[in-house]
Amino acid sequence: MKFSDETLLAYLEGDLDRDTASAIEDAVAEHAELESRLMALDPIAPMVQTAFENVPAKAPVIDLPEPEPAPIAGPSPAMGIGRLLAVAASVSVIAVSATFWATRPEPMGWAEQAAIYQSLYAPETVAALDPSPEALDAQFAQAEEQLGRSLNRDVLETLPGLDLKRAQILSFKGKPLIQVVFADAQGQPLAFCVIRQGPGAPAKNVEHAVLSGLATATWAQDGYGYILMGSDADSPLEGNLDILTTSFAS
Amino acid sequence: MDVDLNSEQAVRGAIQTHSKRVWRFALSLSGASDIADDLLQATCLRALERHHQVTSTARLDSWLMTICRSIWLNEIRSRSVRKAQALSVTPEVELISQDADAETNIFAAEVFTKVMELPEAQRETVMLVFVEGYSYREAADILGVPIGTIMSRLSNARQKLKSAIQPDEAGSDRRSGK
Repeated sequence: MKFSDETLLAYLEGDLDRDTASAIEDAVAEHAELESRLMALDPIAPMVQTAFENVPAKAPVIDLPEPEPAPIAGPSPAMGIGRLLAVAASVSVIAVSATFWATRPEPMGWAEQAAIYQSLYAPETVAALDPSPEALDAQFAQAEEQLGRSLNRDVLETLPGLDLKRAQILSFKGKPLIQVVFADAQGQPLAFCVIRQGPGAPAKNVEHAVLSGLATATWAQDGYGYILMGSDADSPLEGNLDILTTSFAS
Repeated sequence: MDVDLNSEQAVRGAIQTHSKRVWRFALSLSGASDIADDLLQATCLRALERHHQVTSTARLDSWLMTICRSIWLNEIRSRSVRKAQALSVTPEVELISQDADAETNIFAAEVFTKVMELPEAQRETVMLVFVEGYSYREAADILGVPIGTIMSRLSNARQKLKSAIQPDEAGSDRRSGK
Protein backbone atom coordinates (compact mmCIF):
# COMPACT_ATOMS: atom_id res chain seq x y z
CA MET A 1 0.00 0.00 0.00
CA LYS A 2 1.36 3.40 -0.98
CA PHE A 3 0.92 6.50 1.12
CA SER A 4 1.23 10.01 -0.29
CA ASP A 5 3.14 12.73 1.54
CA GLU A 6 -0.20 14.37 2.24
CA THR A 7 -1.49 11.24 3.96
CA LEU A 8 1.72 10.87 5.96
CA LEU A 9 1.55 14.51 7.03
CA ALA A 10 -2.08 14.04 8.02
CA TYR A 11 -0.96 11.07 10.15
CA LEU A 12 1.71 13.20 11.81
CA GLU A 13 -0.84 15.94 12.41
CA GLY A 14 -3.20 13.41 14.01
CA ASP A 15 -5.85 14.06 11.37
CA LEU A 16 -6.39 10.50 10.13
CA ASP A 17 -9.06 8.03 11.15
CA ARG A 18 -7.92 5.17 13.36
CA ASP A 19 -7.95 2.55 10.58
CA THR A 20 -5.74 4.53 8.21
CA ALA A 21 -3.40 5.47 11.05
CA SER A 22 -3.09 1.79 12.00
CA ALA A 23 -2.42 0.87 8.38
CA ILE A 24 0.47 3.38 8.31
CA GLU A 25 1.86 2.08 11.61
CA ASP A 26 1.72 -1.50 10.35
CA ALA A 27 3.43 -0.52 7.08
CA VAL A 28 6.19 1.39 8.92
CA ALA A 29 6.91 -1.71 11.01
CA GLU A 30 7.41 -3.61 7.75
CA HIS A 31 9.24 -1.02 5.64
CA ALA A 32 12.24 0.93 6.91
CA GLU A 33 12.08 3.26 3.90
CA LEU A 34 8.56 4.36 4.82
CA GLU A 35 9.83 4.97 8.34
CA SER A 36 12.57 7.27 6.97
CA ARG A 37 10.06 9.11 4.81
CA LEU A 38 7.65 9.59 7.70
CA MET A 39 10.42 10.74 10.04
CA ALA A 40 11.67 13.25 7.46
CA LEU A 41 8.19 14.79 7.21
CA ASP A 42 7.65 15.14 10.98
CA PRO A 43 7.05 18.85 11.62
CA ILE A 44 7.40 18.59 15.41
CA ALA A 45 10.65 16.62 15.76
CA PRO A 46 13.10 19.32 14.52
CA MET A 47 11.61 21.91 16.83
CA VAL A 48 11.89 19.66 19.87
CA GLN A 49 15.44 18.83 18.87
CA THR A 50 16.31 22.51 18.62
CA ALA A 51 14.82 23.21 22.05
CA PHE A 52 17.02 20.55 23.64
CA GLU A 53 20.20 20.86 21.63
CA ASN A 54 21.97 23.01 24.23
CA VAL A 55 20.68 21.04 27.22
CA PRO A 56 22.79 20.67 29.27
CA ALA A 57 24.80 23.78 28.44
CA LYS A 58 28.04 22.23 29.69
CA ALA A 59 29.30 18.67 29.54
CA PRO A 60 28.22 16.94 32.75
CA VAL A 61 30.90 16.06 35.30
CA ILE A 62 31.51 12.33 35.64
CA ASP A 63 33.77 10.80 38.26
CA LEU A 64 35.35 7.66 36.85
CA PRO A 65 37.97 5.44 38.44
CA GLU A 66 41.44 5.70 37.00
CA PRO A 67 41.95 3.38 34.06
CA GLU A 68 44.48 0.60 34.18
CA PRO A 69 47.13 1.11 33.06
CA ALA A 70 46.96 4.52 34.72
CA PRO A 71 46.71 7.46 32.34
CA ILE A 72 49.70 9.68 32.02
CA ALA A 73 49.34 13.42 32.19
CA GLY A 74 52.04 14.11 29.67
CA PRO A 75 55.02 12.44 28.08
CA SER A 76 57.96 12.18 30.46
CA PRO A 77 61.44 10.80 29.98
CA ALA A 78 60.46 7.87 32.22
CA MET A 79 57.50 6.88 30.07
CA GLY A 80 57.99 3.48 28.55
CA ILE A 81 57.07 2.59 25.01
CA GLY A 82 54.18 0.44 26.29
CA ARG A 83 52.62 3.39 28.05
CA LEU A 84 53.10 5.59 25.02
CA LEU A 85 51.32 2.99 22.94
CA ALA A 86 48.53 2.79 25.49
CA VAL A 87 48.04 6.55 25.36
CA ALA A 88 48.11 6.46 21.57
CA ALA A 89 45.53 3.66 21.59
CA SER A 90 43.32 5.58 23.98
CA VAL A 91 43.47 8.70 21.80
CA SER A 92 42.70 6.69 18.70
CA VAL A 93 39.72 4.97 20.36
CA ILE A 94 38.30 8.34 21.32
CA ALA A 95 38.89 9.52 17.76
CA VAL A 96 37.17 6.42 16.41
CA SER A 97 34.17 6.86 18.65
CA ALA A 98 34.07 10.53 17.70
CA THR A 99 34.01 9.38 14.09
CA PHE A 100 31.14 7.01 14.80
CA TRP A 101 29.35 9.90 16.42
CA ALA A 102 30.07 12.17 13.47
CA THR A 103 28.81 9.60 11.00
CA ARG A 104 25.62 8.77 12.90
CA PRO A 105 22.53 9.73 10.96
CA GLU A 106 21.35 12.14 13.62
CA PRO A 107 23.57 15.21 13.08
CA MET A 108 23.19 15.04 9.30
CA GLY A 109 22.98 18.34 7.48
CA TRP A 110 19.90 19.64 5.73
CA ALA A 111 21.24 18.84 2.25
CA GLU A 112 21.83 15.16 3.11
CA GLN A 113 18.38 14.90 4.69
CA ALA A 114 16.77 16.55 1.68
CA ALA A 115 18.61 14.12 -0.62
CA ILE A 116 17.46 11.09 1.37
CA TYR A 117 13.90 12.32 1.14
CA GLN A 118 14.18 13.12 -2.57
CA SER A 119 15.76 9.72 -3.31
CA LEU A 120 12.46 8.11 -2.32
CA TYR A 121 10.62 9.91 -5.12
CA ALA A 122 9.57 7.72 -8.03
CA PRO A 123 8.13 8.79 -11.41
CA GLU A 124 4.73 7.78 -9.97
CA THR A 125 5.19 10.28 -7.13
CA VAL A 126 5.44 13.24 -9.50
CA ALA A 127 2.85 11.84 -11.91
CA ALA A 128 0.32 11.92 -9.07
CA LEU A 129 0.91 15.61 -8.29
CA ASP A 130 -1.50 18.35 -9.37
CA PRO A 131 0.53 21.02 -11.20
CA SER A 132 -2.47 23.24 -12.05
CA PRO A 133 -1.80 26.99 -11.93
CA GLU A 134 -4.25 27.30 -9.01
CA ALA A 135 -2.46 24.64 -6.97
CA LEU A 136 0.95 26.15 -7.73
CA ASP A 137 -0.32 29.66 -6.89
CA ALA A 138 -1.32 28.55 -3.42
CA GLN A 139 1.82 26.46 -2.86
CA PHE A 140 4.19 29.24 -3.93
CA ALA A 141 2.37 31.88 -1.88
CA GLN A 142 2.66 29.77 1.28
CA ALA A 143 6.21 28.67 0.56
CA GLU A 144 7.43 32.20 -0.13
CA GLU A 145 5.79 33.45 3.06
CA GLN A 146 7.52 30.76 5.12
CA LEU A 147 10.82 31.35 3.41
CA GLY A 148 10.69 35.14 3.49
CA ARG A 149 11.89 35.50 -0.07
CA SER A 150 10.73 35.00 -3.65
CA LEU A 151 11.15 31.60 -5.25
CA ASN A 152 11.41 33.13 -8.74
CA ARG A 153 8.55 31.04 -10.02
CA ASP A 154 8.86 32.50 -13.52
CA VAL A 155 12.39 31.11 -13.70
CA LEU A 156 11.41 27.74 -12.23
CA GLU A 157 8.57 27.37 -14.71
CA THR A 158 10.85 27.90 -17.68
CA LEU A 159 13.84 25.74 -16.78
CA PRO A 160 14.76 23.91 -20.01
CA GLY A 161 13.63 20.29 -20.14
CA LEU A 162 11.80 20.42 -16.78
CA ASP A 163 8.11 20.59 -15.85
CA LEU A 164 7.34 22.32 -12.55
CA LYS A 165 5.19 20.01 -10.42
CA ARG A 166 4.94 21.28 -6.87
CA ALA A 167 6.37 23.51 -4.14
CA GLN A 168 6.18 21.91 -0.71
CA ILE A 169 6.98 23.28 2.75
CA LEU A 170 9.25 21.08 4.82
CA SER A 171 11.24 21.91 7.92
CA PHE A 172 14.76 21.13 9.12
CA LYS A 173 15.61 21.84 12.76
CA GLY A 174 12.90 24.46 12.90
CA LYS A 175 14.02 26.20 9.71
CA PRO A 176 11.68 26.35 6.71
CA LEU A 177 12.90 24.17 3.86
CA ILE A 178 11.08 24.46 0.55
CA GLN A 179 11.20 21.58 -1.89
CA VAL A 180 10.32 22.39 -5.50
CA VAL A 181 9.72 19.24 -7.53
CA PHE A 182 10.09 18.84 -11.29
CA ALA A 183 9.72 16.05 -13.81
CA ASP A 184 12.10 15.72 -16.73
CA ALA A 185 11.05 14.68 -20.25
CA GLN A 186 11.04 11.00 -19.16
CA GLY A 187 8.94 11.78 -16.10
CA GLN A 188 11.86 11.28 -13.71
CA PRO A 189 11.70 13.39 -10.53
CA LEU A 190 14.19 16.18 -9.79
CA ALA A 191 14.13 18.81 -7.09
CA PHE A 192 15.42 22.20 -6.11
CA CYS A 193 15.34 23.08 -2.41
CA VAL A 194 15.86 26.32 -0.54
CA ILE A 195 16.36 26.58 3.23
CA ARG A 196 16.41 29.77 5.28
CA GLN A 197 19.57 29.54 7.35
CA GLY A 198 19.51 33.00 8.90
CA PRO A 199 21.46 36.17 8.24
CA GLY A 200 24.67 34.97 9.94
CA ALA A 201 25.01 31.79 7.84
CA PRO A 202 28.26 31.58 5.87
CA ALA A 203 28.18 31.76 2.07
CA LYS A 204 29.36 28.64 0.24
CA ASN A 205 30.45 28.20 -3.34
CA VAL A 206 28.78 25.55 -5.47
CA GLU A 207 29.81 22.04 -4.43
CA HIS A 208 28.95 18.92 -6.41
CA ALA A 209 28.36 15.60 -4.67
CA VAL A 210 26.40 12.41 -5.09
CA LEU A 211 24.06 12.19 -2.08
CA SER A 212 21.74 9.20 -1.56
CA GLY A 213 22.43 8.18 -5.16
CA LEU A 214 21.49 11.57 -6.62
CA ALA A 215 23.77 14.06 -8.37
CA THR A 216 23.53 17.28 -6.35
CA ALA A 217 24.89 20.79 -6.33
CA THR A 218 24.70 22.84 -3.11
CA TRP A 219 25.56 26.42 -2.37
CA ALA A 220 24.68 29.12 0.14
CA GLN A 221 24.36 32.84 -0.11
CA ASP A 222 22.79 35.73 1.83
CA GLY A 223 21.39 33.55 4.59
CA TYR A 224 19.82 30.93 2.32
CA GLY A 225 21.05 27.46 1.36
CA TYR A 226 20.27 25.87 -2.00
CA ILE A 227 20.45 22.38 -3.44
CA LEU A 228 19.66 21.13 -6.92
CA MET A 229 19.14 17.37 -7.09
CA GLY A 230 19.05 15.25 -10.24
CA SER A 231 17.09 12.07 -10.79
CA ASP A 232 20.14 9.81 -10.43
CA ALA A 233 23.88 9.93 -9.81
CA ASP A 234 24.64 10.90 -13.42
CA SER A 235 22.02 13.58 -13.99
CA PRO A 236 23.55 16.56 -15.79
CA LEU A 237 22.89 19.65 -13.65
CA GLU A 238 25.03 22.29 -15.30
CA GLY A 239 22.60 24.17 -17.53
CA ASN A 240 19.89 24.61 -14.94
CA LEU A 241 22.45 25.17 -12.20
CA ASP A 242 23.77 28.23 -14.02
CA ILE A 243 20.26 29.61 -14.39
CA LEU A 244 19.44 29.01 -10.70
CA THR A 245 22.67 30.39 -9.23
CA THR A 246 22.25 33.51 -11.36
CA SER A 247 18.56 34.07 -10.68
CA PHE A 248 18.81 33.40 -6.93
CA ALA A 249 21.81 35.71 -6.47
CA SER A 250 20.53 38.88 -4.87
CA MET B 1 44.25 -8.65 27.39
CA ASP B 2 44.27 -6.43 24.34
CA VAL B 3 40.56 -6.91 23.89
CA ASP B 4 39.92 -5.88 27.51
CA LEU B 5 42.11 -2.83 27.19
CA ASN B 6 40.41 -1.76 23.97
CA SER B 7 36.88 -2.33 25.19
CA GLU B 8 37.54 -0.36 28.38
CA GLN B 9 38.98 2.49 26.37
CA ALA B 10 36.14 2.32 23.89
CA VAL B 11 33.66 2.62 26.76
CA ARG B 12 35.59 5.54 28.24
CA GLY B 13 35.59 7.21 24.85
CA ALA B 14 31.86 6.61 24.43
CA ILE B 15 31.16 8.04 27.89
CA GLN B 16 33.07 11.17 26.97
CA THR B 17 31.41 11.47 23.57
CA HIS B 18 27.84 10.75 24.67
CA SER B 19 27.69 12.18 28.19
CA LYS B 20 25.37 15.04 27.21
CA ARG B 21 23.00 12.70 25.38
CA VAL B 22 22.84 10.21 28.23
CA TRP B 23 22.29 13.06 30.70
CA ARG B 24 19.40 14.39 28.57
CA PHE B 25 17.88 10.92 28.47
CA ALA B 26 18.34 10.63 32.25
CA LEU B 27 16.58 13.98 32.61
CA SER B 28 13.69 12.73 30.51
CA LEU B 29 13.38 9.62 32.67
CA SER B 30 13.67 11.30 36.05
CA GLY B 31 12.37 14.78 35.28
CA ALA B 32 14.92 16.36 37.59
CA SER B 33 18.45 17.50 36.87
CA ASP B 34 19.93 16.39 40.21
CA ILE B 35 18.64 12.85 39.63
CA ALA B 36 19.91 13.02 36.05
CA ASP B 37 23.40 13.79 37.44
CA ASP B 38 23.27 10.72 39.70
CA LEU B 39 21.81 8.54 36.98
CA LEU B 40 24.51 9.52 34.49
CA GLN B 41 27.23 8.84 37.06
CA ALA B 42 25.75 5.42 37.90
CA THR B 43 25.34 4.61 34.20
CA CYS B 44 28.97 5.40 33.41
CA LEU B 45 30.30 3.35 36.33
CA ARG B 46 28.09 0.41 35.35
CA ALA B 47 29.17 0.66 31.72
CA LEU B 48 32.80 0.64 32.74
CA GLU B 49 32.27 -2.42 34.95
CA ARG B 50 30.68 -4.18 32.02
CA HIS B 51 33.14 -3.16 29.31
CA HIS B 52 33.93 -6.87 28.81
CA GLN B 53 30.46 -7.24 27.29
CA VAL B 54 31.31 -4.83 24.50
CA THR B 55 31.89 -6.66 21.26
CA SER B 56 31.40 -3.79 18.84
CA THR B 57 32.06 -0.11 19.30
CA ALA B 58 29.45 0.81 16.72
CA ARG B 59 26.41 1.25 18.96
CA LEU B 60 27.83 2.16 22.33
CA ASP B 61 25.48 5.13 22.56
CA SER B 62 22.34 3.00 22.56
CA TRP B 63 24.06 0.55 24.94
CA LEU B 64 24.62 3.45 27.38
CA MET B 65 20.97 4.50 27.01
CA THR B 66 19.81 0.95 27.78
CA ILE B 67 21.99 0.80 30.91
CA CYS B 68 20.76 4.22 32.00
CA ARG B 69 17.13 3.19 31.70
CA SER B 70 17.69 -0.11 33.44
CA ILE B 71 19.32 1.63 36.44
CA TRP B 72 16.48 4.14 36.52
CA LEU B 73 13.78 1.50 36.50
CA ASN B 74 15.43 -0.99 38.84
CA GLU B 75 17.34 1.13 41.29
CA ILE B 76 16.52 4.82 41.32
CA ARG B 77 12.92 5.22 40.32
CA SER B 78 11.53 3.71 43.52
CA ARG B 79 13.77 5.94 45.62
CA SER B 80 12.58 8.96 43.68
CA VAL B 81 9.02 7.75 43.89
CA ARG B 82 7.63 11.01 45.13
CA LYS B 83 8.99 12.90 42.17
CA ALA B 84 8.24 10.11 39.75
CA GLN B 85 4.62 9.77 40.82
CA ALA B 86 3.93 13.45 41.10
CA LEU B 87 5.34 14.13 37.66
CA SER B 88 4.34 17.68 38.25
CA VAL B 89 8.02 17.86 37.52
CA THR B 90 9.24 21.37 37.88
CA PRO B 91 10.37 22.02 34.36
CA GLU B 92 13.91 23.11 34.76
CA VAL B 93 13.65 25.87 32.26
CA GLU B 94 16.89 27.44 33.39
CA LEU B 95 18.57 24.57 31.57
CA ILE B 96 17.75 26.27 28.30
CA SER B 97 20.82 27.96 26.94
CA GLN B 98 20.92 31.71 27.28
CA ASP B 99 23.12 32.10 24.22
CA ALA B 100 20.32 32.48 21.71
CA ASP B 101 18.15 35.56 21.31
CA ALA B 102 15.21 36.18 23.63
CA GLU B 103 12.49 35.03 21.22
CA THR B 104 14.30 31.77 20.50
CA ASN B 105 14.74 31.22 24.23
CA ILE B 106 11.07 31.77 25.00
CA PHE B 107 10.10 29.33 22.27
CA ALA B 108 12.68 26.75 23.40
CA ALA B 109 11.48 27.11 27.00
CA GLU B 110 7.86 26.53 25.95
CA VAL B 111 8.77 23.41 24.03
CA PHE B 112 11.04 22.20 26.84
CA THR B 113 8.28 22.67 29.42
CA LYS B 114 5.72 20.83 27.29
CA VAL B 115 8.07 17.90 26.74
CA MET B 116 8.85 17.65 30.44
CA GLU B 117 5.14 17.67 31.25
CA LEU B 118 4.50 14.60 29.08
CA PRO B 119 3.89 11.26 30.82
CA GLU B 120 7.14 9.36 31.40
CA ALA B 121 6.64 6.82 28.59
CA GLN B 122 5.99 9.55 26.02
CA ARG B 123 8.80 11.69 27.36
CA GLU B 124 11.47 8.99 27.06
CA THR B 125 10.26 8.17 23.54
CA VAL B 126 10.22 11.80 22.42
CA MET B 127 13.72 12.24 23.79
CA LEU B 128 15.14 9.24 21.92
CA VAL B 129 13.43 9.92 18.58
CA PHE B 130 12.93 13.68 18.33
CA VAL B 131 15.98 14.86 20.24
CA GLU B 132 18.57 12.09 19.86
CA GLY B 133 17.56 11.14 16.32
CA TYR B 134 17.06 7.40 16.85
CA SER B 135 14.73 5.73 14.36
CA TYR B 136 11.44 4.28 15.61
CA ARG B 137 13.04 0.85 15.29
CA GLU B 138 16.11 1.79 17.34
CA ALA B 139 13.96 3.42 20.02
CA ALA B 140 11.79 0.29 20.15
CA ASP B 141 14.94 -1.78 20.79
CA ILE B 142 16.23 0.52 23.52
CA LEU B 143 12.86 0.70 25.29
CA GLY B 144 11.96 -2.94 24.70
CA VAL B 145 8.54 -2.24 23.15
CA PRO B 146 7.04 -2.86 19.69
CA ILE B 147 7.55 -0.19 17.02
CA GLY B 148 3.78 0.44 17.00
CA THR B 149 3.97 1.46 20.65
CA ILE B 150 6.71 3.95 19.80
CA MET B 151 4.56 5.42 17.04
CA SER B 152 1.43 5.73 19.14
CA ARG B 153 3.38 7.32 22.01
CA LEU B 154 4.80 9.84 19.54
CA SER B 155 1.34 10.52 18.08
CA ASN B 156 -0.02 11.27 21.55
CA ALA B 157 3.00 13.41 22.36
CA ARG B 158 2.67 15.36 19.09
CA GLN B 159 -0.92 16.28 19.96
CA LYS B 160 0.18 17.64 23.32
CA LEU B 161 3.22 19.45 21.93
CA LYS B 162 1.30 21.06 19.09
CA SER B 163 -0.07 23.81 21.31
CA ALA B 164 3.47 24.90 22.17
CA ILE B 165 4.81 24.51 18.67
CA GLN B 166 2.27 24.90 15.86
CA PRO B 167 4.86 25.40 13.15
CA ASP B 168 2.69 27.31 10.74
CA GLU B 169 0.88 29.80 12.90
CA ALA B 170 3.47 30.17 15.64
CA GLY B 171 6.29 30.22 13.11
CA SER B 172 4.88 32.89 10.88
CA ASP B 173 3.71 34.95 13.85
CA ARG B 174 7.18 34.95 15.31
CA ARG B 175 8.75 35.81 12.01
CA SER B 176 6.36 38.63 11.22
CA GLY B 177 6.64 39.93 14.76
CA LYS B 178 2.90 39.65 15.44
